[in-house]
Amino acid sequence: MSVAGSSRRFALAGAATLAVLWLVPFYYAVSTICKSTAQYLSGTPLSLPPSLSSLPGNIEAAWAQTQMGQGMLNSLGYGVLGAGGAVLAAASAAYALARIVFPARTTWFMVIFAGTVFPFQIYLIPLFQGYARFGLLNTRLGLLMAYMAICVPFPTLVLRNHMGQIPRDLDEAARMDGCSHFRIFRSIILPNSTGPLIALFLLQFTWIWNDLIFSMVLTTETAQRSVMNALMVFQGNYAGTTPNLVITASVLASLPTVAVFLLLRRYFMQGLSLSVHA
Amino acid sequence: MPGVTIEGLQKWYGGSQVIRDLHLTIPDGAFVALVGPSGCGKSTTLRMIAGLEMPSGGRIYIGSEDVTARPPAKRGVAMVFQSYALYPHMTVRDNLEFGLRVAGAKLADRVRRVTAAAEMLHLSDLMERRPSQLSGGQRQRVAIGRALVREPSVFLFDEPLSNLDAQLRAAMRIEIKRLHQTLRTTVIFVTHDQTEAMTMADTIVVMRDGNLEQIGSPLEVFERPANRFVAGFIGAPSMRMFDGRVEQDRMVLADGTALQLPGHVAHLAEGTEVTMGLRPEDLVVEGHGTLPVRPCFFEAPVLLTEPLGNETLIVMPFAESEAVARMYRPRPVAPGEVLRFAVDLDRIHVFDQKSGESLRRASAPGQT
Repeated sequence: MSVAGSSRRFALAGAATLAVLWLVPFYYAVSTICKSTAQYLSGTPLSLPPSLSSLPGNIEAAWAQTQMGQGMLNSLGYGVLGAGGAVLAAASAAYALARIVFPARTTWFMVIFAGTVFPFQIYLIPLFQGYARFGLLNTRLGLLMAYMAICVPFPTLVLRNHMGQIPRDLDEAARMDGCSHFRIFRSIILPNSTGPLIALFLLQFTWIWNDLIFSMVLTTETAQRSVMNALMVFQGNYAGTTPNLVITASVLASLPTVAVFLLLRRYFMQGLSLSVHA
Repeated sequence: MPGVTIEGLQKWYGGSQVIRDLHLTIPDGAFVALVGPSGCGKSTTLRMIAGLEMPSGGRIYIGSEDVTARPPAKRGVAMVFQSYALYPHMTVRDNLEFGLRVAGAKLADRVRRVTAAAEMLHLSDLMERRPSQLSGGQRQRVAIGRALVREPSVFLFDEPLSNLDAQLRAAMRIEIKRLHQTLRTTVIFVTHDQTEAMTMADTIVVMRDGNLEQIGSPLEVFERPANRFVAGFIGAPSMRMFDGRVEQDRMVLADGTALQLPGHVAHLAEGTEVTMGLRPEDLVVEGHGTLPVRPCFFEAPVLLTEPLGNETLIVMPFAESEAVARMYRPRPVAPGEVLRFAVDLDRIHVFDQKSGESLRRASAPGQT
């Protein structure tokens, strides 16, 4: 009893420490966005703000200086189309790899999966040079294509495993019902994969939304840059911005992904279990 | 309603042949059971008839049409799977209707067929449920309904009762049989359970290692098994086998027990090495059941009993092995108790010891 009790107390203490460690930056962000520049500079970084009155001004200034509206719109487009397209392409590939017997099936899978083996940064220089040659630099299509290509391999791996677990009898029953491969994919396999599809969409959307490096390398103009790239106006020798505005802009830029997660978390949790209930 | 004809069907998986030159004619409206142990090729044969597997050789005809290369949906067959294979994301109604939608059937036609199938299978109250909200028996009925709405020429059942408990299985056996009697559609039913085959089918096809071992009515394969394999496979408890040799008009077993040869093998030559088959039904306990016309009595101690209520199975030593007898209207029996048994000499089976083939004279009458 005492051993069990002390180990439980130890676990609780550990959990509480981790929770505090996690909450400190969170508290720092929330308190900082409520301070004016003067308030921030006059107190310690973790001091409580005197009131919430500085918050609207911070939001207004951060939004205007970063031209966040344009950045968010761009990122929304990249995120929805890039993650959606990638997950759909990955689902098609996964269906073929999991359910259709064709020559060199494993080799094809390895070719696709190889995309996750190397760090993405190694693609930057060849991608930049190739884009420059084909006129894709500073285009939304160019950045979208890069995001979509990067986001295909991981969902392919996950969906191939998931689709491999869906009973094969379902395909055969559908074939008896007169379905083509495309119809089986559309009417049987996809509806039974909604959990993983949404979970993967969320993961890839978040990755695209949070990406900075590809947006920085492949776009230089406000019209095409992503929201994270928009935050870069606060960086540099002459930016002259205080942390309250930087943090406000960062929090604003993070809110859409939090909102998407909250809206779709049920599917996200379902998707993580990656199971099919017949 | 067309029957099914199979000519020289073969199936190879890599270097291994699982179906060897199968010839089979299934008449219109027949209820045929393909039975055999696991791996005998019965499911593969069914899947080739369904179009889910491509034969490596041979032809399949449904009616007079060669359907060997046709896709499954264009063969006029419908299949009920062992796992039911209901679409988990669809309601019962959608499951029933899906095939008709894919085929492009008009709404009125779809409604008519789905309603008729639902009424026939007592599914009307379950139409908006998902498969996960149904019991095993209900799922089974939906699976049958899904096949039914397609109004096929041939129904294919792939061990559809194996996932049900014993009580439900017995109930579904009757339902499927009743359905066949109503529709008179050709049914091909795969099972490894010989009781299922015996009780439901009007023709039984016994398979082993991709070969057809015997085809006949349930009574025929039970009473006149073509070989030792069929004899052992059909009947529960299974037929017990005892090696022996023919001496004059008798069969002498390993321990010297001599039994008069039954009439249907009276032609066997002196010295023929044989295997005698004895079913529990043909070995009765004196005083418990009707004695045979030509009995051969012997006494033996009881080794083991299996009380089944209406009868008790009794295991006793016989010819250096063990035999099983049925004790009708049973009384309590203790192991070690000596009982008097009677073998029905007219009903013993005799097989060639080497080939395993039945040695019954072709013209010999049935054992009924």
